[in-house]
Amino acid sequence: MNIQMPRINRIPFFFKNQNLLIQWGIIFFLIITLITLIGPFIVPNDPLTANMSERLAPPSSTYPLGTDHMGRCIFSRLIVGAQSTLGITALVVATVAIIGIPIGLVIGYIGGRLDTVFMRVADGILALPEFILAIAIAGFLGPSLTNLMISIVFVKWIAYTRVVRSIVITERNKDYVQAAKVGGSSSWKIIRRHMFPQIVSPVLVLATLDIGKVILTISSLSYLGLGAQPPAPEWGAMLNDGRPYFQSAPELMIYPGLAIFFVVLAFNLMGEGLRDKWDVKSR
Amino acid sequence: MLHVNSISKTYHSKAALSDISLTVQPGESIGVIGESGSGKSTLGKIILGLEKPEQGDVHFRGSNLHTLKGQALKASRRHLQIVFQDPAGSLNPKLLVWKSVVEPLENFPDVIPSFLKEVRHDRKKMAEVLFQKVGLSSELLERYPHQLSGGQKQRIAVARGISLEPDLLVCDEPTSSLDVSVQAQVLNLLKKLQRDLNLSLLFISHDIAAVQFMCERIVVLKEGLAVDSFLTEDLFSESRHPYTRLLVEMSMEQEYK
Amino acid sequence: MIENNTPATCENNLLVVENLSVIIRNSREKLIRNLHFSISQGEIFGLVGESGSGKSLTATVILGMISKSLEVTSGSVKLGQSEITSLSERELRNIRGKEIAYLSQNYQSFFTPFIKVGQQFIEIIRCHTDISRKEAKKVAIHWLNKVHLPAERVFNSFPDELSGGQLQRASIASAIMFQPRLIIADEPTTALDVLTGERILDLLSELKEELNCSILLISHDLKHIINRTQTVGVMYGGQIVEIGKTSAVLSNPIHPYTNLLLQSRLRLNKHIQHELPTMLGEPGSMAEEGCPFSKRCPSVMKSCSNIVPMSSLGSHHSAACHLMNAEREERYVTR
Repeated sequence: MNIQMPRINRIPFFFKNQNLLIQWGIIFFLIITLITLIGPFIVPNDPLTANMSERLAPPSSTYPLGTDHMGRCIFSRLIVGAQSTLGITALVVATVAIIGIPIGLVIGYIGGRLDTVFMRVADGILALPEFILAIAIAGFLGPSLTNLMISIVFVKWIAYTRVVRSIVITERNKDYVQAAKVGGSSSWKIIRRHMFPQIVSPVLVLATLDIGKVILTISSLSYLGLGAQPPAPEWGAMLNDGRPYFQSAPELMIYPGLAIFFVVLAFNLMGEGLRDKWDVKSR
Repeated sequence: MLHVNSISKTYHSKAALSDISLTVQPGESIGVIGESGSGKSTLGKIILGLEKPEQGDVHFRGSNLHTLKGQALKASRRHLQIVFQDPAGSLNPKLLVWKSVVEPLENFPDVIPSFLKEVRHDRKKMAEVLFQKVGLSSELLERYPHQLSGGQKQRIAVARGISLEPDLLVCDEPTSSLDVSVQAQVLNLLKKLQRDLNLSLLFISHDIAAVQFMCERIVVLKEGLAVDSFLTEDLFSESRHPYTRLLVEMSMEQEYK
Repeated sequence: MIENNTPATCENNLLVVENLSVIIRNSREKLIRNLHFSISQGEIFGLVGESGSGKSLTATVILGMISKSLEVTSGSVKLGQSEITSLSERELRNIRGKEIAYLSQNYQSFFTPFIKVGQQFIEIIRCHTDISRKEAKKVAIHWLNKVHLPAERVFNSFPDELSGGQLQRASIASAIMFQPRLIIADEPTTALDVLTGERILDLLSELKEELNCSILLISHDLKHIINRTQTVGVMYGGQIVEIGKTSAVLSNPIHPYTNLLLQSRLRLNKHIQHELPTMLGEPGSMAEEGCPFSKRCPSVMKSCSNIVPMSSLGSHHSAACHLMNAEREERYVTR
């Protein structure tokens, strides 16, 4: 009886009707990507043009979702804002992965004192609440999108390092690594060839789940005025702008709020779906 | 060729090995028998240079294995290979098996084993020749480990073990997780390769019958001590250590014919 | 030739498995085909075969613990008078543990790690009988003594404080407490050292005499089967291909699979072999029709793709192979 388990990562999973979560996640993801990429070319109005005579206008054929307190087209601002919100998020997650993964691979594989030192530093950073630290850094460097990104990256890389490190620590004692060592492979080659493939899927899952979190962090910090500076459209900043008008014109906050909600949902669905598929333990 | 001089090693303040000495001549096959906890796997790892002994030293081809570093260590590793017990764990699950097989050859571009002379430039062809040598069809080259049976995986591990034409192959319980019929195939293969390539073999096992089949000389380990050491033909001799005699008695079958 | 005469209704038969077939529900793949054997009172019955031959699954069916994804399509399993395949879960629970005991290879996971062994014994005892904790302790100590353990010490130990052999002994004690009529030992020594394993088997034989029960010993280790069993069934591809008195099967193996299995095994011998005879092919590769071994069989012939009935050879030995009927010359037609 040769029961062979199908390997998920060999099958292009989104072509198989296997997991509804992932499917919905991917559909949302494709829509969002499409909007982000072609959005700025199809918006009905310039997102930055203020028109004080038409402030807080209701939805109309010119302004599909109405206008904000400065008379700017909410719809256009949302679409264009997607680019900065999502672009920054992607950049942050990518940077974090690029910093976190190699560190995790190296300290996990080499271990010993190097590992201890790095992990103590990481513990030190994590001892401070993530959000407060980001606020402190953004406050120290001055409010701007770049500084916001730096502050998030500063805290986030640790999570990736930890995940990668713990996988490497369990894998590095397995026979196939010993065999590679006996076969004369250098540490560098073992890390590249034997360790790296083991971490790809867990890190992808972590990253998908993290995208949602990073969007929320960026939006929250922008909401606090530490991120995107007016008049640049960014979802968090839009929320912040709408705050004084919450009672008279709640749609100013509802639309960007919904946008954030759907994007975070899409990435979480995708992330959880991927995790269920790849992580045998959580089944 | 290999001299193990009274090595000792402790784990968690318990002696795993105490005062073990061993010599392996070129082309010789030596069996190490012991139950779990006898320290036989630790001995294998020390001989491979994967672990360091606390006392004593291991001389391989004239140099002290555990003081070697960098290129010198790598150079002596080329002559020292291993086949592990668990064929599933000894192959990277995410790597095509032929890539696992030729990995040692990539690391030593200057080494040209006699059986790979014509194809040394082509990794895929080398893998093919090695697969042939261990009796596997080349259809299996492009598979992942989970697509193969235990016996096939173990053959692949053997192919990797001999790929550099080493002087000494350490086999740590190479057949104990395999079915009876497959066990016979793998043991025959190892024996044939040992003869053809004039390998020295250090065969670690709990199964006396397997060791008797494979080896010319046998060392019996018990709780980290070498209690007995003898030529295989003297296995049934009266002068054997009581522990060896007990192991033999337990491994005998009733006669029916 | 007399066909299909394995006596299945004999008086002293404790367990009778008749015509049992099991398939995977989804793929309709046959895992066990027309299994037919019986275990008589007081014997050790050995079931031998490679991984995937269906020997452990057979044990699961006898215990009535078959997984939901599998389905018994035909046949019956009778223990004494009760028909196991038709019992309800509640009735089964009563039989398991009391009538049939099960020993597995994973003695490590038999006991819950963070509860003392004694407490776990008391719990098991009070599950099945209505006695006080004090009485239950007495019973537990009694049985721990029976398996030659330092009873008091083991009773007050956590599972991880015991060695592998001790744990396997303790699990035997808990298995035999209700004096079952059948002990199913599924690879009971695989995870143990050679010496410890032999002592466990000694203990089982001793207990068998004392309790007058039968043992179904499932093993891939031919040495244990040869040394310990009175009757042996050789399984391949979910089918028993040869069955009979162990001495008869060993001295005159009929089925090529039995023959090759016996030849390819390692045995300690004064005369050292230079090469072991081997079987072709991979374990588990089996023919869809006819004899499951025909894909690997060195003496395969045309008729092997037809269903092979069990034919008997003397009163205590039968095999499912066309060779029994074929002329001797035809025996060596290789493919």
